[in-house]
Amino acid sequence: MKKILNNPENYVDEMLAGMTAAHPEYYRLHGDSGKVVARAKAGKSGKVGIVTGGGSGHLPIFTGYVGEGLLDACAIGDVFASPSAEQMADAIRAADSGAGVLRLYGNYGGDVMNFDMAGELVEFEDITCTTVLLADDVASAPPEEAEKRRGVAGMVYAFKMAGAAAEEGRDLDGVTAVAQKAADACRSIGAALSPCTVPQAGKPTFEIADDEMEMGMGIHGEPGVWRGKLKTADEIAGEMMDRLLADMPLTSGDRVSVMVNSLGATPPEELYILYRMVKSRLEEAGATIVMPLVGRYATSMEMAGVSFTLCKLDEDLEKLLNAPCDCAFWRVG
Amino acid sequence: MTITRDTLLAAIDRITAAMERDFDMLNSADGALGDGDLGVTMTRGMRAITAMKDDLPDDIGMALFQCAQAFTKSSGSSYGTLMATGLMSAAKTLRGEESIDAARVPELIAAARDKMQERGKAELGGKTVLDSLDYVAKATSGADDMAQAAADAVDQAMVDFRDKPATVGRARIFGEKSIGMDDPGMLAMQSVVKAATGR
Repeated sequence: MKKILNNPENYVDEMLAGMTAAHPEYYRLHGDSGKVVARAKAGKSGKVGIVTGGGSGHLPIFTGYVGEGLLDACAIGDVFASPSAEQMADAIRAADSGAGVLRLYGNYGGDVMNFDMAGELVEFEDITCTTVLLADDVASAPPEEAEKRRGVAGMVYAFKMAGAAAEEGRDLDGVTAVAQKAADACRSIGAALSPCTVPQAGKPTFEIADDEMEMGMGIHGEPGVWRGKLKTADEIAGEMMDRLLADMPLTSGDRVSVMVNSLGATPPEELYILYRMVKSRLEEAGATIVMPLVGRYATSMEMAGVSFTLCKLDEDLEKLLNAPCDCAFWRVG
Repeated sequence: MTITRDTLLAAIDRITAAMERDFDMLNSADGALGDGDLGVTMTRGMRAITAMKDDLPDDIGMALFQCAQAFTKSSGSSYGTLMATGLMSAAKTLRGEESIDAARVPELIAAARDKMQERGKAELGGKTVLDSLDYVAKATSGADDMAQAAADAVDQAMVDFRDKPATVGRARIFGEKSIGMDDPGMLAMQSVVKAATGR
């Protein structure tokens, strides 16, 4: 393992300490677990709260998106490990200002179990919660089992749109409906070139030969669709777009946002090379691209690779996407 | 036989000792099929319960509720949350009672099994802790020596499932490779039940 760290046991605590110290205007630690991040300045009273949670190792997901027009609080676990139900309950408490709290996170067994348990814990305190799960990774299950899919970078769109809806003053049902619509409108797929190493495990999450890639691999190294020789950027982008468009066909006049996201080690240069093909495929389909996001939005530590996310917009979602938001990693407006 | 706070405290001591003893065994069994931290989850949870056991109330329901909370605080692992879910199920049923008839244990275990199944969204027969609990619930129901029946049931579950593939939980991705290997969650429940019953 070659990583810049101190004791691997303290990896997440030290990361959070540094992050809150570097951006005190955005983030603060809430409660005594040391694993809950909340907005430095609480949202307006009476605003619907939005929380997320999951394992560390995906910055800016999850904690990074705590901020105005986005999330209110986040419970964060060890690298690739779910936070505890009690930490999630603390995040819900931090996010609640009396109007209820939306739990918005990715479809992973451990996280679902713990967030359900957290809901049971805060029920005693009369906090009303709703849930929307992201299940946007098309490679993780076929369309007929879409509810089994894992949640990946589509989360960023759902955070943005639900966050804007909450900021506008919509009620819990309204914010939940927006989040569900955004989640349903997103499709993602990833491709990996090299693995990452979980600090506490000390060894790579999977092995892959120097000249190979894996199409459809999950963000924790879950097996993908195929593994084979590394292809060219245009071939990779073309296949990824084919797979996304097969799952969510677009027709002339559709408006979409698209994210070309680095899984960690892949540089912006290569993302821009890929974006050419992404744009031409979408134009061929007759779709209009709104606010393309090219950069590092949802990562898997130092994994080399890329993910694409398509988010099909209607008038409301497009308005919410364009609304202002502000966190240390992303600002709109 | 009746179960009171004292019965519970004695069982906590035995289970905590068993988890410390089995720490490495559970970690390595879990390492073969998962992320290798089951021993950590169980010792952390039991240490948290032991740390506050002197403050546990006489109300068995409330005492079990606090034990469940100790698990939800100490760990985010799915197994820890399942333990907490099972304890919470019994806690809700027993709230306000300071002594309970041991004859109610089988139904409490069956109810915990159902709640855990719901939370884990898993079927019986998938080679998980749910199968161990299912065996215990069925074997203890109407048994003369309930403690012995429970201890035998967890052993029998290990034997019956050893040569089956795991079909739910993280071990599922190992499919056929899990044949012949003991499920780590079932091993942990075997230790817990044997310690709880003093076997």
